[in-house]
Amino acid sequence: MLHYKIALFFSISLIFSSFFTILINNPIYSILFLILSFVSATGILILLESEFMAFIFIVIYIGAIAVLFLFVVMLLNIKIVDSIKDVLKYFPISNFIGFFILLEILIFFINYFKFNPYFESFLFNVHINWLDKIDSVSDIQSIGQIIYTYYVLQFLIAGFILLISILGAVILTLSYNKVNLKKQDSFKQTSR
Amino acid sequence: MPFIDFTDFFVYYFPFFILDFSIASSFCELEEVIGIFPELFLGLSIFFLFLHCLLISSSGEKNYPLMQSAIVNIASYMLFLTLVLACNFSFSLKSSLFNNTIILDMLSVYSKQYLLVVSIVLIFLVKPYLKYQQINSFEYLLLVLFSIFGLILLCSSNDLITAYLCIEIQSLAFYLLAAYKKNSAFSTEAGLKYFILGSFSSSMFLFGSSIVYGITGTTNFEDLKDLFFYIFDEGFMTINFHILHNISYTDVLNVGLSFIFISLLFKLALAPFHVWSPDVYESSLTSSTVFFAVLPKLSLFVFFIRFFQFNFTGILESWKFYFIFIALISIFVGSFVGLEIRKIKTLLAYSSVSHMGYVVLAFSAFSCESVQSMISYLLIYMFTNVCVWCIFLILKLKKNNFKKSNMDLSDFSSLNKSNLTLSVFFSIALFSLAGFPPLIGFYVKVKVFAIIVEETQYLAAVFAILCSVISTFYYIRIIKVLFFENNLAGNLYFPLTYFYSFIVAFCFFFLVFLFASPNLFYLSCYRMCF
Repeated sequence: MLHYKIALFFSISLIFSSFFTILINNPIYSILFLILSFVSATGILILLESEFMAFIFIVIYIGAIAVLFLFVVMLLNIKIVDSIKDVLKYFPISNFIGFFILLEILIFFINYFKFNPYFESFLFNVHINWLDKIDSVSDIQSIGQIIYTYYVLQFLIAGFILLISILGAVILTLSYNKVNLKKQDSFKQTSR
Repeated sequence: MPFIDFTDFFVYYFPFFILDFSIASSFCELEEVIGIFPELFLGLSIFFLFLHCLLISSSGEKNYPLMQSAIVNIASYMLFLTLVLACNFSFSLKSSLFNNTIILDMLSVYSKQYLLVVSIVLIFLVKPYLKYQQINSFEYLLLVLFSIFGLILLCSSNDLITAYLCIEIQSLAFYLLAAYKKNSAFSTEAGLKYFILGSFSSSMFLFGSSIVYGITGTTNFEDLKDLFFYIFDEGFMTINFHILHNISYTDVLNVGLSFIFISLLFKLALAPFHVWSPDVYESSLTSSTVFFAVLPKLSLFVFFIRFFQFNFTGILESWKFYFIFIALISIFVGSFVGLEIRKIKTLLAYSSVSHMGYVVLAFSAFSCESVQSMISYLLIYMFTNVCVWCIFLILKLKKNNFKKSNMDLSDFSSLNKSNLTLSVFFSIALFSLAGFPPLIGFYVKVKVFAIIVEETQYLAAVFAILCSVISTFYYIRIIKVLFFENNLAGNLYFPLTYFYSFIVAFCFFFLVFLFASPNLFYLSCYRMCF
């Protein structure tokens, strides 16, 4: 039952943080809530035993995209706007679209997921995959075993691609021109 | 000196470490490592060249030397040694390595050798241009080497993952080569355009291959060969999607294949997806444009043949119409739009669009003959283009704006007054590109038409022949500008060095020789299709 409770905790945290991402006025707080929502989604994925997707969420969504958003918000100097006023204006259309998407998802769930009628009764039994319990290899471990053995060549080529991208970032940004170089002026920065 | 020791450590101990690793791993047999020796050698030596350049060019003791001309020599030597390794293959007929992800057959080995020879010539060719444009950083030729590495690995890739990674190496290096001149707005624009369209097409490739994987459960070509050797009955296997009733597997597979096909059309700059190529060719550095124009076509077409013809023999017959359609559209666009163009690089881009159209037209017969004619057409296209670009690169106008290198047609006017031999060579190369009768370009073009007629696609053949006649106009217009332009003051050019005139003469005599005895060349092309 602890499993369900943790899943419930992460789901509630996911719902709340995604609500606050939309509702909060300050864009920086909004992005921090976005990161929180990604973290809680990662928690749910780990509970579902798909660790690879969970780590990809952490590395790509939080490590790359959310940080990129944060930099953009910090650099662009976006003003804090009162978005609550616009909520009423857009309420009908957004609710209309959202209602239909919810309906679609519900139809899908009703068609494909059958509720167990014996749940929490005397006849309820749980299927245990004993093979999985004895010799369990996690998601990441199996991916790693395949990558480092069967796909070693492809792994090395991927390393080449990373090297080229680093080389390219350096080539495109490094400037040998010493005249109009932008430098950090510490005095100006501290006295700001 | 500390940094010398550091280099010594890397150069002498690092390769043994890597080789030990690959041999010791039980999944890579020694034989397999020997099988990819050319690629392994080229990849490792690129790393060491990178370290070497980084350490030498940033050393204050040596007063920060420029390494461009040294790197040209080292790179061509590396490519020569790779060529030796590629020639020295001792596999009997066909062998696939690394769990069938790499294949060594005649097609891959011969195309690798041709690619390496052409790239050695091209690297020597761009050297004076780089000196002239004052591109002194060593990364330029490293990127060229990286792209060649991706291309020769693509020739022997037998798996969708490997092919994607190789295409990605090649195209990442090409984006950077296009955007290399940062202070020019044209170059950065070309790089951005190439990057956006190229990554779009790469993502289409990934999407298509994920659909293929979802339907067949494999990305490996050996398995795909076994699966699609027979012609499928359309209603034989169906998937029951809930909303879409009973789609057959082949329908969904065709969606995936068409995504991969479209992404390859983007990469090869075939007609409805060719729009990036004239812009990118015109605005990037000419030394980069040479590589874009000449090198990637062969290995992409090798992948194209391997993927479509060798794997999906059973279901390819329903695709014939689309191949012919794409081919005719690109021939049409390449011949008619080229009539309006006055800039040489854009003109050559449109000419390459029409040439790739002829290659796809030859492919649409799906026979062994068609593969042979595709390969021979591509190789002749490469050799002729090397000759044309060579003349284009080494001709430098004496002008005030000395860095300007993009030429109009008028820049060649009355070249025969100042350099008769060069203008004769140039016109012969253009005649071969146009497919004039007493030259090798004519032979390979006639082969394409013969194959199409043999397939009883008469309308397509007539259309292609008419367009070919029209496209001859713009090649002949260049020759008219070279010889028969009446203007008072002709252009003055810098004199050619001995070495580059030797290369031009060699390319020219090679074309003439191929006309005189094309048998050896045809033999190698025939060997490549088995």
